Amino acid sequence: MSQLFANYGRSTDTGRTPAWDEMFAATGGGNEAEQVRPGYADLYEALSHMSQEELRGRADALASSYLAQGVTFDFAGEERPFPLDAIPRIVEASDWARIEAGVAQRVRALEAFLADVYGRQDAVRDGVIPAHVIVSAPGFLRQAAGIEPAGGVRVHVAGIDLIRDQHGDWRVLEDNVRVPSGVSYVISNREVMAQTLPELFARMSIRQVTDYPRKLAAALRASAPPGVEEPTVVVLTPGVFNSAYFEHTLLARLMGVELVEGRDLFCSGGFIWMRTTSGPQKVDVIYRRVDDDFLDPLQFRADSVLGAPGLLNVARAGNVTIANAIGNGVADDKLVYTYVPDLIRYFLHEEPVLPNVETWRLEDPGSLDYVLKNVRDLVVKPVDGSGGKGLVVGDRATPEQLEALKEKVSANPRGWIAQPIIQLSTIPTLVEGGMAPRHSDLRPFAVSGDGDVWVLPGGLTRVALPEGQLVVNSSQGGGSKDTWVVGTRAGEAPTPVVPQPSTRYPQAQGSIHPGHQLGQGDTFDDDDNRLRQQIEHQQQSLGKEA
Amino acid sequence: MKRLRVRHEARFTYQGNANASYNEARMLPRDCSGQQVLSSSLTITPHGPQFPYRDYWGTPVVGFEVLIPHSELCVIAESLVEVNRPLRLATRASWVEMRHEAEARCRLLEHMDQTARTDPTEEVAELARDIAASPRDPFDTAQAICEAIRDRIEYVPGVTGVGSTAKEAWVKGKGVCQDITHIALGALRAVGIPARYVSGYLHPEEQPEVGLTAQAESHAWLEWHSGSWMGFDPTNRIPVGDRHVLVARGRDYDDIAPVKGVYAGAEATELWVDVKITRES
Amino acid sequence: MLSRVAESLFWMGRYMERADGTARILDIHLQLMLEYPSADEDAACRSLLSIMGVTDMTGPLTSADVATRLATDKTEPASIAYSLVAARENGRRAREIISTELWECFNTTSIALPGSVAPERHHGFFAWVKERSAMAAGIAYTTMNRDEPYQFFMLGQGLERADMTARLLATRDLAGTGGASWTTLLRSCGAYEACLRAYRGKPTAERAAEFLLLDQYFPRSIRFSVNRALNAVHQLDPVPVSSRTGVATGAEWILGQAISRLQYQPIEDVLADLPEAMDKVQESTSAASDAIKERYFPALTLPVWMGEAA
Repeated sequence: MSQLFANYGRSTDTGRTPAWDEMFAATGGGNEAEQVRPGYADLYEALSHMSQEELRGRADALASSYLAQGVTFDFAGEERPFPLDAIPRIVEASDWARIEAGVAQRVRALEAFLADVYGRQDAVRDGVIPAHVIVSAPGFLRQAAGIEPAGGVRVHVAGIDLIRDQHGDWRVLEDNVRVPSGVSYVISNREVMAQTLPELFARMSIRQVTDYPRKLAAALRASAPPGVEEPTVVVLTPGVFNSAYFEHTLLARLMGVELVEGRDLFCSGGFIWMRTTSGPQKVDVIYRRVDDDFLDPLQFRADSVLGAPGLLNVARAGNVTIANAIGNGVADDKLVYTYVPDLIRYFLHEEPVLPNVETWRLEDPGSLDYVLKNVRDLVVKPVDGSGGKGLVVGDRATPEQLEALKEKVSANPRGWIAQPIIQLSTIPTLVEGGMAPRHSDLRPFAVSGDGDVWVLPGGLTRVALPEGQLVVNSSQGGGSKDTWVVGTRAGEAPTPVVPQPSTRYPQAQGSIHPGHQLGQGDTFDDDDNRLRQQIEHQQQSLGKEA
Repeated sequence: MKRLRVRHEARFTYQGNANASYNEARMLPRDCSGQQVLSSSLTITPHGPQFPYRDYWGTPVVGFEVLIPHSELCVIAESLVEVNRPLRLATRASWVEMRHEAEARCRLLEHMDQTARTDPTEEVAELARDIAASPRDPFDTAQAICEAIRDRIEYVPGVTGVGSTAKEAWVKGKGVCQDITHIALGALRAVGIPARYVSGYLHPEEQPEVGLTAQAESHAWLEWHSGSWMGFDPTNRIPVGDRHVLVARGRDYDDIAPVKGVYAGAEATELWVDVKITRES
Repeated sequence: MLSRVAESLFWMGRYMERADGTARILDIHLQLMLEYPSADEDAACRSLLSIMGVTDMTGPLTSADVATRLATDKTEPASIAYSLVAARENGRRAREIISTELWECFNTTSIALPGSVAPERHHGFFAWVKERSAMAAGIAYTTMNRDEPYQFFMLGQGLERADMTARLLATRDLAGTGGASWTTLLRSCGAYEACLRAYRGKPTAERAAEFLLLDQYFPRSIRFSVNRALNAVHQLDPVPVSSRTGVATGAEWILGQAISRLQYQPIEDVLADLPEAMDKVQESTSAASDAIKERYFPALTLPVWMGEAA
């Protein structure tokens, strides 16, 4: 038995079916090692040789690396490293194949739905989705009608949030096809994990995530307006104060394109330009990380300084591609979500690969009464919120919160949905008291450009750090885990590269420093800790008080 | 049948210079049943490129930008329109038929939802419900509601502003065509009749003399759906006829504002508007 | 490249150099005040603060006040802390252009910045600041492409270094003290040995001044720094063949004039009113900076869009 998992508590919640633990099966031999699920065997083996102190040491090194890189978030005015747990999540190849197919299917269906809803509206006419769901969706933007996206792509990047229920089945929790964020953490988590648990990278065959920027850049270039040979692609950020600014810089940097702000852009003569040191330069594709509402003050919020007035009309003229397209919010609407399985059948003539989470539409007759009566067993969500905004978990809410919720829901049933409280699956996570199970979800990212939907193998695993917490958003005190899709896909066997030994030694001047050896006295055992120590040392020697 | 020439001028004067401005004009009449546009053009000073398109509601829009410093922006829309709206027999659907049709069509359903501009006071909603309670079909109900609203609002310019809501105008008991239309829309929607806002021009003379230019204004009326769309001018209590020139449709005024835009640099702006209509034949 | 990002690189270079220059000036003067306590500490402090560009001063000032204000006060625009934070912020705004190593250098420096420094540790703090600036400069030198971003960075660095050396020389006649000796001034620039070698061990006041003002080979002299800025200006905007005057931009004109003023004047005359001459240098770097802004980063203030409707 390993020391690390000595006190690993299983779910203590006896009232319900316990959460699915991804590392340990509930049944099996009495011995801990025998309960380890197959995908986690290598990880368990490696961790079993490790003491808690050693793992914590590695976790600290990981945190200081994030601090130095500026992968941080603002906590009460102080910069903290973005919380990444040292224990990765493992997804086996067979599970991944299902997720990949399900996510791609979902994206294709939403793409078809968006084209229809801003076009002929056949799905409404054929009774697949009621008209009132569309016209009352806050994300249905009439300004987007008549903008024909190049290549027919509106969902260039999608983040489909998945959870694993008590039986270990993957389900779709929500769709994000507006400006899904978090992919930068997938990339930076992997980079820093390779330094944290290098022994595992050698042993396990983990699928790469480094392809993402290349795939995104290719998709963006492919969706340039017709006739543009060498498109100028830019990433549009709200600016340094945005919580995802790190992600914006990372994507711009790894794609080798400019990171622009609204004030860098202006529309003129039917085109959009950026202000450069050598005069205006035409922009063809804007990967925007600014919400619809702020994108064009002429069409939306007139006081916005984050966009460029006239942008929509340039897009309408077909002279710039906005990625993701404007008006995609109607597909993110949580009431529309309840119709997505039907939309998959209608548009793709396929059965959904990944099921939804059971959902009550509060506007359905009888639903409202049922939900109000059973609210303690339910999660109630506003239809247009993302990232857990406005969500109420029935059994954790105070009577006052429930009262307020009932009032809001009764006043506007269209604005809310309800779902059963699902015990999200748990994964071992290093918390203050040691290794403990924590609830998590998964956001895989899909990129669409030239007809194909590509799903990044892995995705962002978010984990709720407080015990028993079921909301796993980073805005609600959530951490993250690196997600390892293991097992090699057919035809993707890695070819080892054996470097030829060089016969040429580096030239030396001669014995100018007899007896001196590089780094003597320096042990590099805790190499990774050097930065933090160095910083602390500097602070000490300078008598830091603040 | 009448041939009408319309000249609509909007002039913005800025305090100081506007360095850049981006705008959209909805000032050009559109082709629709009973109305054919023979010619139309928009002249913008300072001069700049124009981007015409049709919005979601089918209105011809002209986007334009001025990127040189300017203290005044002048937009002149000129058009020649042939109007021929014979009094048709209205299609009269039953309440049940109407509701059924609306369920399946976004384009009808979205004219049944209130907007911030049309949202009625409880008094207006009750008035509409009372009328709808008596055994009338949707067409007669709609007309009765429009008449009843008009009875309660005195036509007085200058009491309300361009940004007023139906509620505000109702409380004042006074307003102009825009307010009367907003209140009537709110009342119609309150009883489940799809209704939309229409902007355009009305020749002020009942029997316009050919060749004589009349001073006019932008005008507003509405269309309700009772099996088919029916145009009605609640301000003048008349069905829409040959003196009306239709420009834009939408859910309320915000969807059809003649000039809408943003500018940077200047402090404040003043607006001067002039509309002239001439019957040519 | 984007004008906004160019502006960030320019200021990143300036702030990095300003932190270094301020550390050097403070290092010698805090030491001097300690070694030769003057009758009028307040006047000396005021004089030093005003040379560094601080205008609002209240109450009798001590050297400790000066140290706090110019070293660690993040709200004081003339301080080292402010410069280091500003360098990092500008680096962040140009994050997709600069190398990860350079970014991490600015970032970790800013994280390690102490809230206050005890007097006995001042020298150590200044040494650390110089080291971090040198490290940033070195990383920039070895990791940046020699294209536009690099030239804007060098332009900022060159201008600021000229400005800082001018301020350092202006402290020669600091009120209320005997002023820093030429040896001290040379030392603060790391130029003492270099000057000795250049003049075969016989430096006079004139020669030391000449060395810091006009030496063509010493990289911290005003002439050298201005030339470096001029070189960046040329790279950014090569003089067109058709230009008979050989001058392309306003910044070049301003900087060329500043150098000529020093170069074609007897050194005794310059020394006769050194603060005045150094003031002129600072005026020129500031005017050049404005000219560069106008040429490369015009109208980058956020426009305020106002809705209008008829």
